Amino acid sequence: MQCREFREVADSYLSDELLVETNHDMIAHLEGCAECRRELAARRELRTALRASFDKAEELQIRDQFADRVRRELRDAAMIKATPISRRRVWVAIAACLLVAAAVALSVVWQRQRAQTPGQIAGGNRPEPNVAQVKPTDIQPHLAPTAGDADMVLAKMSELAAGDHRDCAINHRLPQSPIDLEEAGHKYDQAFLNLKNAVRSHLTDSNAEIELVGAHACIFKGRWFAHIVLRHRGRLASLLVTRLDHAEGSPAQAKSTEVDQHGQIIACATASGYQISCLRTARHAIFVVSDLAEGENLALARGLAPSVYKHIKSAEDITLVQRLNHARKVDYLDFIAFTRRSSLETISYAGGGNGRRGVRSQHRRTNQRLE
Amino acid sequence: MFKSIRQLHRENQWTAFEAEALPHLSALFRLAMWLVRERAEAEDLVQDTFTQALQSFHRYEKGTNCRAWLIRVMFHINSNRRRASARLQIINETDERIAETVAFDPPTPQGLTEEEVLRALRSLPRPFEEVVLLSDIEDMTYKEIADTLGVPIGTVMSRLHRGRKLMRAELSNYANSRGIGHKTGEPSASSAGK
Repeated sequence: MQCREFREVADSYLSDELLVETNHDMIAHLEGCAECRRELAARRELRTALRASFDKAEELQIRDQFADRVRRELRDAAMIKATPISRRRVWVAIAACLLVAAAVALSVVWQRQRAQTPGQIAGGNRPEPNVAQVKPTDIQPHLAPTAGDADMVLAKMSELAAGDHRDCAINHRLPQSPIDLEEAGHKYDQAFLNLKNAVRSHLTDSNAEIELVGAHACIFKGRWFAHIVLRHRGRLASLLVTRLDHAEGSPAQAKSTEVDQHGQIIACATASGYQISCLRTARHAIFVVSDLAEGENLALARGLAPSVYKHIKSAEDITLVQRLNHARKVDYLDFIAFTRRSSLETISYAGGGNGRRGVRSQHRRTNQRLE
Repeated sequence: MFKSIRQLHRENQWTAFEAEALPHLSALFRLAMWLVRERAEAEDLVQDTFTQALQSFHRYEKGTNCRAWLIRVMFHINSNRRRASARLQIINETDERIAETVAFDPPTPQGLTEEEVLRALRSLPRPFEEVVLLSDIEDMTYKEIADTLGVPIGTVMSRLHRGRKLMRAELSNYANSRGIGHKTGEPSASSAGK
């Protein structure tokens, strides 16, 4: 190693930044070069002097007051961590908690008021007209549907369904004897037709521990019910289907319910000590009533609901098609009869020597009627 | 009285910070004072540095050079301040050229006063002053300096070489003006060119 090279890297040697091999070369050069030894010692001395003078320079020294203040403030910051951001977060959290607490309290108060106010049923703020005969605590819906009028109808029907289950399936003391379900289907409601088979096939398919005890149509407080009596876990349960009249099942209500529910249980209630789960189609309300536990009754209803809903819905569709066809048939027969009458008139007109005009006028009248 | 886990964690963190970082408060202040030259500004810089360091102390790797880590934090804050106040100092090409054109590397004089040594350091262009300061006074490695300044390690080495060369030239001038120099005299031309 030459002296020039030595001096190039002498500072790196002092900083211990050289490779081991280079260090060896440096040491070897130092052993034989007094001038470089002096230079290296001078640079080391300069570095020491630089560090010492820097450390001792008065104008660079920290003030004790400032040092104490920094230590104190840092300690406070470390222990309290009371930064503006954290304080803001705390206030936001407190505000959120208060808001939630207020909402919960309001909800509880509102629900208590609803439960204590006679004549007000779940889902509707309007007073229920027929609830005078129902004890205020008899009906306590706890899954409040939101579809206003439709829910009020279901609440009203729930009480009737519970009464029918009690008087028919349990106590057998209906004023009028039940009739066969198929007969009622032909006489009163086509949706009752084959309902028993629909339920039976569901029970067969599902392998549920449900026994079909009987099926009939019965009338309770002037309302016809298709009544299928089941036994589940040793308790009697009733599947009740009743047709809603025009006011109860208006098309607007039916439409919203159909769209929203698709055969799902839409409400649960307790009436006269029975658990009631209900759903509805466009023109019918369907109930499952029993004295099973709430969850068991709901599970039973959920199992039955899809097949029963499908059956009732298809019956309603068929009825609708039949009505349309019937209306068309009536119009057609009317048209044929009218045409026949027109033909006779035409003939009579023709016999009168002015047949062409007569036919034209009759055709015009026919067209007007058709329009 | 029970202390929450969070409170215990804070106490532990403060204890560690107090043991590792706070002993370097005076050194950091000297460095800050040297860099900004005004006491009030230096105090602000040091306070901000330690506040930032406390908040970021979880990033500090135990067992590494805490002083170098604090200096890096301080240089970062200081460069942001300089940038904000539009007083960013970039490497002056003239300074670079001057450093390049110092052809003769004089032998390191001895017997200089502390004041002269500091004055020679102060006379260096800022980029060279910084690397000499961090290497020779703060005893930081080349890599630590490169990390602190955000420049490649090769740049650090070249700046150090030129800075020291300039400083030796300046010190040699002081020594010559006072009639002092090598204890054994000037090195001969033959030894310099060996």
